[in-house]
Amino acid sequence: MVLFVLLSIPLLACGLALAAPTRQWMEAIHLASAAGTFIAALWLAGEVLRQGTVSQGNGFFYADDLSALAALLTAFVYLVCAPYAVGYLHRDESLGFLAADGDQAAILRKLRMFYSLMPLFAFCMYLVVVANNLGVMWVAIESTTLASIFLVTFYGRPTSLEAAWKYAMIGGVGLSMALFGTVLAYYSAHQVLGSESVSALNWSVLALQAAHFDKTVMRLAFILILLGFGTKAGLAPMHTWKPDAYCEAPVPVAALMSTAVLNCAIYGLARFYVLTGRCLGPGFASNLLILFGLLSVGIAVPFIMLQRSSRRMLAYSSIEHGGIMVLGLGFGGVFGVLGMLLHMTYHTATKPLLFLSVGNIQQHTGNDALRRGAGGLVHVLPVSAPMFLLGALAVTGTPPFSMFQSEFMVIRAGFGGEHMGVSIVFVICLVAIFCGFFHHVTQLVLGPPSGAPREKIILWKRYPVIGLAIVVIVMGFWLPAPLYQLIDGAAHILAVQP
Amino acid sequence: MHFWQDVLFGNRMITLMAAMVLVLQITMVTQRWLVTSIRAFAVQSFLLACIANTIAYYNNAPHIYAAALFMLVVKAILLPVIFERLVSKIEIRQEIEPLINAPITVIITGLLTLLAYVVAESLHRPDEPMGPASLGHNTLAVAIALFLIGFFMMVNRRKALTQVLALLSLENGIFLAAISLTYGMPMIVEIGIFFDVLVAGMVLAILVYRIRETFDSTDVSRLSRLKG
Repeated sequence: MVLFVLLSIPLLACGLALAAPTRQWMEAIHLASAAGTFIAALWLAGEVLRQGTVSQGNGFFYADDLSALAALLTAFVYLVCAPYAVGYLHRDESLGFLAADGDQAAILRKLRMFYSLMPLFAFCMYLVVVANNLGVMWVAIESTTLASIFLVTFYGRPTSLEAAWKYAMIGGVGLSMALFGTVLAYYSAHQVLGSESVSALNWSVLALQAAHFDKTVMRLAFILILLGFGTKAGLAPMHTWKPDAYCEAPVPVAALMSTAVLNCAIYGLARFYVLTGRCLGPGFASNLLILFGLLSVGIAVPFIMLQRSSRRMLAYSSIEHGGIMVLGLGFGGVFGVLGMLLHMTYHTATKPLLFLSVGNIQQHTGNDALRRGAGGLVHVLPVSAPMFLLGALAVTGTPPFSMFQSEFMVIRAGFGGEHMGVSIVFVICLVAIFCGFFHHVTQLVLGPPSGAPREKIILWKRYPVIGLAIVVIVMGFWLPAPLYQLIDGAAHILAVQP
Repeated sequence: MHFWQDVLFGNRMITLMAAMVLVLQITMVTQRWLVTSIRAFAVQSFLLACIANTIAYYNNAPHIYAAALFMLVVKAILLPVIFERLVSKIEIRQEIEPLINAPITVIITGLLTLLAYVVAESLHRPDEPMGPASLGHNTLAVAIALFLIGFFMMVNRRKALTQVLALLSLENGIFLAAISLTYGMPMIVEIGIFFDVLVAGMVLAILVYRIRETFDSTDVSRLSRLKG
């Protein structure tokens, strides 16, 4: 029941938004869809905590702690972005970004596209995490790309077409590799499970039999899967679409892409990691994950230090954090996996704060430049600018914010797991990224007043930012017990015994 | 027993059609006319549908018939029609000079095919008896070759539409691998994949059209303003 509700709400919202007569209706449907799916995700988490796993539709939909966690995180970002998007689009309209000559029909068309694609995008992400069949999971991950392409081209600028093209092509090639990997994984399971069974690609079946799979084929399959879902997660060196797409898409979409989509891709990777780990032992997959994770963290360092655009800086920060999660998974053990899941949770709470406050700054100043800006934004935007600073402190892992804990846990797993060299390089990269972030952010936010006019207050845009900031601060000191229980349960699924 | 009921005959037919699929892929790599590329892709998809059909016939497997039907409808008919209409709409017929010239392209495709055979060899199980169940296993090398050549075509070409064709032919390789190794994916996955391919084809066609409108060209090397 709960899984059907979770999936049908956004699908229904998409259909209703297409039929809605006025803008107010579209906004109301959008907000209701976000709130409804959040409640459904909470409900799902409750069911999973009570029963262990939830399976519906003859085993077609399946949710365990990992799925429930990922669904909850997606729903959280969607919930925060929904009211923000309303205010954001109102401001865009008054700035004349939606239609050049204020043509009402054209504006309504654009809004209808936005408000129907957003729930569809969310639906695809929920489908990723509750699909039992790994093939269906692949289809859902590919659909997240398709649903978001026209959100990236929302403003119709030449640069947004360029970004969308890169996103579609690099994503398409990457995901076709993942599909090949899925086919090969199916082949390696084929001898054990037979081809007649409908459930032969179901994770709940595969996970139990993984030790008997064909090892050569599984090895090749995991490499392809890692490259494929790694592209979707934006791991280096397949990350090049990410900064472009994040700085061209509307801010709420960028916030969803940088957290929820990243989580979905890592989720897919983690599922296959478990299968590979059980089939080949943990060593093979771990080494590959550590390689790509470290590369992603490393590549973010120079690009963050020399960055000129704040949106692109956040994109590289997402690449870095994707890298940290993959490193955590690669280091493995109790600390590595737990660190990775905590990091996923904290990153999902923190990154939208940065995106939303940058969105406010960008809509006020008219650009997202880091250096050309005169500084002193704290006098102009008394809420958004300090929140940006706070988010930057949190995202770089400064204590007492929560990401310090999770990063520390991953580092601890690295040193504990005899990955001395990797861990040292990792720590150095984190410090360098911290320096780069602060060089830019303080220059932008602090300083004497520049005399620019003060921010025009739009409550739709302000409250999500304040609410998120409260969540980020509270999370530094207190994690709700059921949420921790969920994370702990997910860690048990991912921990591969050597 | 009629001669077409013999598994050996089926195996030869599949090998023949797989060889033609590979030849068409190489044609697409070296071809400069867009419409010819689109038709080569359509014929390639048609042949793949035939291969799937043959395997379905000898194994009496309804879900492979379904996969063949999807292949025929989506990739051999619908998408080529959409692309041909797009070509006539944007009035671009000829591909600009690819990054690497034709002779070297052919040599590279040859090397990629060789590599595909080496990879496929490592997955080969020589002790399998010949029968309906092992039908089409020898086409794995062709499938991997399609995949690799599709990749090469993507980086070698600069026209947006040719890149889309490369992506789709690369997916043809995956389809061939799926039917030759495991007789297709489970039915529901098959439906999902073809739905995705269809939507992706349409989305990309719209994107190509808008790129053409905005940049007055579909040369993707002009899409280079975003950096850093």
